[in-house]
Amino acid sequence: MVDTATLIETLARDARPVRRLPNPGRRALQWLTVALAVVATFSVVMGVRPDLAGKLADQAFTLQLIAGLATAGCAALAAFSSVVPGAPNWVLWLPAAPLLVWTGSLGRQCWQDWFAVGPDGLGFRPDPVCLPMIAMIGAVPAIAMVAMVRRGAPLTPRLTVCFGALAAGALAYVGLRLVHPQDAAFMVLVWQFGSVVVFTFAFGLFGRWLLSWRAVTARIRAGSRPIDPG
Amino acid sequence: MTTLRQVGESHSASWAREHRSRSPRRRPSSARMDKAWSVDKAWPPAEDGAATGRMGAPEGRDANPEWSRLMAAAQEGDKDAYLRLLREIAPWLRRVVARRLYGPLAAETDDVVQDVLLSMHSVRHTYDPARPFLPWLMAIKRHRLADMMRRSVRRNTHEVAVDSLEAAFAEVAADTSDWDAVDDKVVHAAVAELPPAQRRAIELLKLDEMSLNEAAQATGLSVAALKVATHRGMKALRALLGRHA
Repeated sequence: MVDTATLIETLARDARPVRRLPNPGRRALQWLTVALAVVATFSVVMGVRPDLAGKLADQAFTLQLIAGLATAGCAALAAFSSVVPGAPNWVLWLPAAPLLVWTGSLGRQCWQDWFAVGPDGLGFRPDPVCLPMIAMIGAVPAIAMVAMVRRGAPLTPRLTVCFGALAAGALAYVGLRLVHPQDAAFMVLVWQFGSVVVFTFAFGLFGRWLLSWRAVTARIRAGSRPIDPG
Repeated sequence: MTTLRQVGESHSASWAREHRSRSPRRRPSSARMDKAWSVDKAWPPAEDGAATGRMGAPEGRDANPEWSRLMAAAQEGDKDAYLRLLREIAPWLRRVVARRLYGPLAAETDDVVQDVLLSMHSVRHTYDPARPFLPWLMAIKRHRLADMMRRSVRRNTHEVAVDSLEAAFAEVAADTSDWDAVDDKVVHAAVAELPPAQRRAIELLKLDEMSLNEAAQATGLSVAALKVATHRGMKALRALLGRHA
């Protein structure tokens, strides 16, 4: 083991100028700009649903889209804050509010369907296209997110990656609602929102693999040159 | 030669040990570790205030603005400011970490301090000079301490302390008569004589204990090329060490 004094001298000699990380809010905006462009392109290429203009007049539909977008923005902010040491903890709770509005709106719609039609209002059918669509639309934003958070400190790898995946998944949900004509609340809750949840936790499992101190320090050790004859 | 590769060797070894002994059991979460060890609950210790003059402030305030200034200068590449900063925070960090580790874990204090310093160095670009320095440093310390605790818990679940290992170790001392031949300086001198590609491969794979994939990423060479360079490097090294001996 090298003694601490030697380590300090070696680190000091290696102190090259560094480019400071922009603040989390600015980084979240940068990511949102890129991710929204990707989702919009995807929606146009896939073809937006024919009844979109009418659906946008539906309050519940619009509220869910806005809540999805807000969740994406807040989760991105939380992800970028979680890689900055000493950042305030309350930012990590920000996604909870839009997430509650989002699930609350879907839950309310389910309740209304059940109240109006009875148990048939919550009819369940397989709709396996949702998960691959969410994964496909969310892939590029998620990869961009991972690339950006890897520039920070891997303090809470799983939490950071979960927030990043939630941000990408929520945006993918918005994209999917624009192209996929599925409006039964229970189906949307299970297949579309459920896919976002699966996407989030599936990415989160790889948190320690995607973000680790080992990788950060290995990059420094590999990039450093011999400093001084000892 | 003193390089970051060398100073990181002990860290590489502990990381390698961690990854080899990865347990399927559930890891203790950071929050649980913090709770169990009440990290930073009583920060800072009274004696620290005496040592640094303004350390009695709570963590959320800029307890020592000079450190913030030195860190900002270090980000601009001011080596002297960085050296001064590291020399000032190291003994303070050691005291703070030592208060959290007791019993057999006390022996890990220097490891944790060095881990914190190395981690701080590797993410120094995340420091925002508009914000106080100490909360930034303490967050790194808190997480590195929790990481060490996780490693320790994992290790302890797989290791049993025994009083005597007669069956495992021979009474006869090892034959150290040829140890001069593998003296550190001699080995490093021999490595320095290797052609650049072989030297790089030996440094990354044998001294830094990187995996082939990591070394390939660091050098841009293919795994096959690294294997060939390592094989040739080891062969040449044997010959060189024979000559030195």
